[in-house]
Amino acid sequence: MNIIACVKQVPDTEAQIKVKGDGSGIEEGGIKWVMNPYDEFGVEEALKLKEKFGGEVTIISVGPARAMETIRTALAMGAEKGIQIDDPALYNADAYATAEALAAAIKGLPYDIIFCGQRAIDDDSAQVGPILAELLGIPQVTFVTKLEIDGKTAKATRPIEGAQYVIETSLPCVVTATKGLNEPRYASLPGIMKAKKKPVDIKKAADLGVSGASKSKVVKFTPPPARPPGKIICADDTPEGKAAELAKLLREEAKVI
Amino acid sequence: MSNGLVNTRDQQFLLFEQFKIDGLFEREPYSDFSKDIALMMMSEAEKMAVNVILPTYAEGDREGCHLDKTGQVRVPKCFHDAFKKFCEGGWLAAVRSPEVGGQGMPVSLYTACSEFFGAANFAFLMYSGLTSGAAHLIELYGTEEMKNKYMYRMYSGEWGGTMCLTEPGAGSDVGALKTTAKRLPDGKFLITGTKCFISSGDQDLTTNIIHPVLARIEGDPPGTAGISIFIVPKIRVNDDGTLGEPNDVKVGNVEHKMGIKGSATCTLIFGEDGKCVGELLGKEREGMRIMFNMMNEARLEVGMQALGHASAAYEHAVQYAKERIQSTPVWEMKNPDAKAVPIIMHPDVRRDLLWMKAMVEGIRAINFFAAYALDMAKFAQTPEDRAKYLGFAELMTPICKAYSSDMACLVTSKAIDVYGGYGYCQEYPVEQYMRDVKIACIYEGTNGIQALDLVGRKLGQNQGKNVMNMAAEVQNTINRAKAVAGLKQYAAKLEEAYFAFVDLTMTFASLGKSSSFLIPILNASPYLELFGDVLVGHFLLWGAEIAQKRLEEIFEAKGADTIGKRRALVHEDPEVAYYEGKVAAAKFFAAEVLPTVKARCEVIKQGEKIPIEMAIESF
Ligand SMILES: Cc1cc2nc3c(=O)[nH]c(=O)nc-3n(C[C@H](O)[C@H](O)[C@H](O)COP(=O)(O)OP(=O)(O)OC[C@H]3O[C@@H](n4cnc5c(N)ncnc54)[C@H](O)[C@@H]3O)c2cc1C
Ligand SMILES: Cc1cc2nc3c(=O)[nH]c(=O)nc-3n(C[C@H](O)[C@H](O)[C@H](O)COP(=O)(O)OP(=O)(O)OC[C@H]3O[C@@H](n4cnc5c(N)ncnc54)[C@H](O)[C@@H]3O)c2cc1C
Repeated sequence: MNIIACVKQVPDTEAQIKVKGDGSGIEEGGIKWVMNPYDEFGVEEALKLKEKFGGEVTIISVGPARAMETIRTALAMGAEKGIQIDDPALYNADAYATAEALAAAIKGLPYDIIFCGQRAIDDDSAQVGPILAELLGIPQVTFVTKLEIDGKTAKATRPIEGAQYVIETSLPCVVTATKGLNEPRYASLPGIMKAKKKPVDIKKAADLGVSGASKSKVVKFTPPPARPPGKIICADDTPEGKAAELAKLLREEAKVI
Repeated sequence: MSNGLVNTRDQQFLLFEQFKIDGLFEREPYSDFSKDIALMMMSEAEKMAVNVILPTYAEGDREGCHLDKTGQVRVPKCFHDAFKKFCEGGWLAAVRSPEVGGQGMPVSLYTACSEFFGAANFAFLMYSGLTSGAAHLIELYGTEEMKNKYMYRMYSGEWGGTMCLTEPGAGSDVGALKTTAKRLPDGKFLITGTKCFISSGDQDLTTNIIHPVLARIEGDPPGTAGISIFIVPKIRVNDDGTLGEPNDVKVGNVEHKMGIKGSATCTLIFGEDGKCVGELLGKEREGMRIMFNMMNEARLEVGMQALGHASAAYEHAVQYAKERIQSTPVWEMKNPDAKAVPIIMHPDVRRDLLWMKAMVEGIRAINFFAAYALDMAKFAQTPEDRAKYLGFAELMTPICKAYSSDMACLVTSKAIDVYGGYGYCQEYPVEQYMRDVKIACIYEGTNGIQALDLVGRKLGQNQGKNVMNMAAEVQNTINRAKAVAGLKQYAAKLEEAYFAFVDLTMTFASLGKSSSFLIPILNASPYLELFGDVLVGHFLLWGAEIAQKRLEEIFEAKGADTIGKRRALVHEDPEVAYYEGKVAAAKFFAAEVLPTVKARCEVIKQGEKIPIEMAIESF
């Protein structure tokens, strides 16, 4: 089976994000970069399929030089090879430009299934996987928590509010992974040593025949407004008294009930 | 944001900016490594520590270990999954050679990883640590048959290992042991005796346990010279590798301890039914020499245990001090409307935190450097270089073990102080650090015994060259720091301490030859602490000199040409904040601690023997 897993390098969930003074982006100094956690589920699922059916896992990432670390991490987890699309035109690309570059890189490759994370935790757009499937003209199932493959078709479980869909589709298809799909493995030490010998192709937008132009434009980054301090209800120290006070505040101050 | 365990920035500073371990990657045996790979391994270690090991910390402490009705020891349940993941990651044998199933990792690099693991849960780490150490003895001294039978399966984590020295009547004095070995016709031995305090002595993480056991062959002389070492499996292993009969190794009990409760400390009874068979490892009567390979490694690991706990306690304390709001600041004394502030604003808390920071960074440097010296000994091109670096490692081993653990106890205690009443309660993690770290002062040879090793053996080793080489390193630091404008006065403080310390060391050397050898023995522990203080001063100042240069570079690059602009950068640029902290910690240590060195040296040189002269009845 030929399996492709798309990964994005994002700031660690614990990182304290500071917006640059001029609002053009975020301060990158001191940030720890990690593989987007949802992509880890995709990589893990790709590796499990490979272990079951044989074949190869190819990792693709759009990102600047530092994104190589993330590709190497996936290779250390067990993937065979990588493609990095590193082009200044694509720095800060929107979901469309990213998906277009990925689609162009993938088109020339044999593939049976493509994994993406359901969204990236930095821009939260949740669009790259779906646009990629559209551009390639193949089916997609998003937010997948369970996947069964029998070689020709995929049966995927996708939670919706209060229920879940079980969706069957033919292969090849795009699956966007979410929490619950599996427990991503840790890169082992032998894996890390092997990873450095695995091939990674570095490509520019022009190599893929795309311009890298985004359809949307980021006008300005602004930090979220500072949260007003919380309020501790202690008017009357009995549970009943506190509940009454809370109800009053919810109605009169917060105006939510 | 801090991971709550270890400052990765400081680790990277030590490895790549101060010791420059990437130089090791230029040649065999480390040419498969690169800085990128090293960073990736450190990052995986952090993940393993934070996501897999740390969740077992409090749970392992609360659940502890117990002996079940069948005589089998049960470790905390949560250790099982974590142990599996740890072994799968290849961490158990990380520093061992790839030829035997290891990863061939430089010790200095692994040390950074193990700081993380130790900070996350040292009790957990002991199972794999002892296994790797015991397997290494077989690698060094075992026959091919033993290696095939035991070693590979230990390095993979399938089977466990221990080290069996201590007996009820033989603790510090291993030579007093009573366990015996009786020759069998087939060349094997029947082992009989009781060992106590055996870490990982029994556990249910692995299907078999391989014990290296110190015992005396019948008829051999008393004392350490008559001790041999035997490989004793819990369950006998057939020639085809399958498990055979139990080998008559019984668990007498599991200790109830102050800390490291997740580590099973067992009394083991060998040969109660006369059926415990052991195989001689190496030659007869060379047991102590062989076991020392494992003990030296284990002493460095105990230093890392101490460092890990101190580091985690400090990281927690800083975080807490930034969040806990209590008391109005002293400069608002007269303002009735003043608001309470985070306690990190209070001068007393602030100084405690800075002392802890200096100590943590100091013992981190000491332990990393000792590990780096082991790597350099392997990497060295000339016999002189090899001897020099091996000498550093040998000289520093008792300091890594004893100084780190003594200081870590103080650091963890201070962390509780910072937390106030909450620090004393189990709902918060710092009290466990203090309980868990205390053992580092005791096992692997008590700190008192370490001090005797330093004074009695290590100082004179190699005709005193090891100490002289170390002194030259300190002298270099002083010279370099003197050339840096802001550090001159602190270099002078290190120099004063250094002169006093060298002078005391010379005095010890001459006393050792005279009848007054009791002075060095009596003062071995304070001497070890002085040595540690001088080394911390040396490593911190060396780091500060580098940090100061980096700061100048950053200031220049960012056009920060006024004090105001420079100060503002501390808040904006985490690199500036880090380097400023590095310099401040070094200055603080030099200003506060180093000036006491001279006085303490003088006290020892006065030659008072009051503790020995006073009669026992007077205590
Ligand atoms: C949790 C735990 C785990 C352990 N794990 C292991 C293990 O895995 N394997 C193993 O073999 N052992 C293990 N030990 C044993 C440990 O190494 C010993 O406890 C230690 O060596 C001290 O021996 P002791 O307890 O008999 O104390 P003692 O030897 O009775 O020492 C008591 C005090 O006297 C001092 N003292 C003794 N002799 C001298 C001297 N000549 N000069 C100056 N001072 C002296 C000591 O410094 C100490 O302060 C473990 C112990 C504990 C508590
Ligand atoms: C086992 C136990 C029993 C207790 N029994 C009693 C009892 O019987 N009755 C009772 O009333 N209380 C009792 N206490 C509470 C105890 O007195 C408080 O825990 C203690 O006064 C510290 O307060 P805190 O825990 O809120 O710490 P904090 O006040 O938050 O202090 C945290 C840290 O900040 C430092 N700090 C705070 N303010 C300043 C400042 N202005 N300048 C410099 N440093 C500062 C402290 O020194 C400390 O290091 C008990 C606590 C425990 C743990």
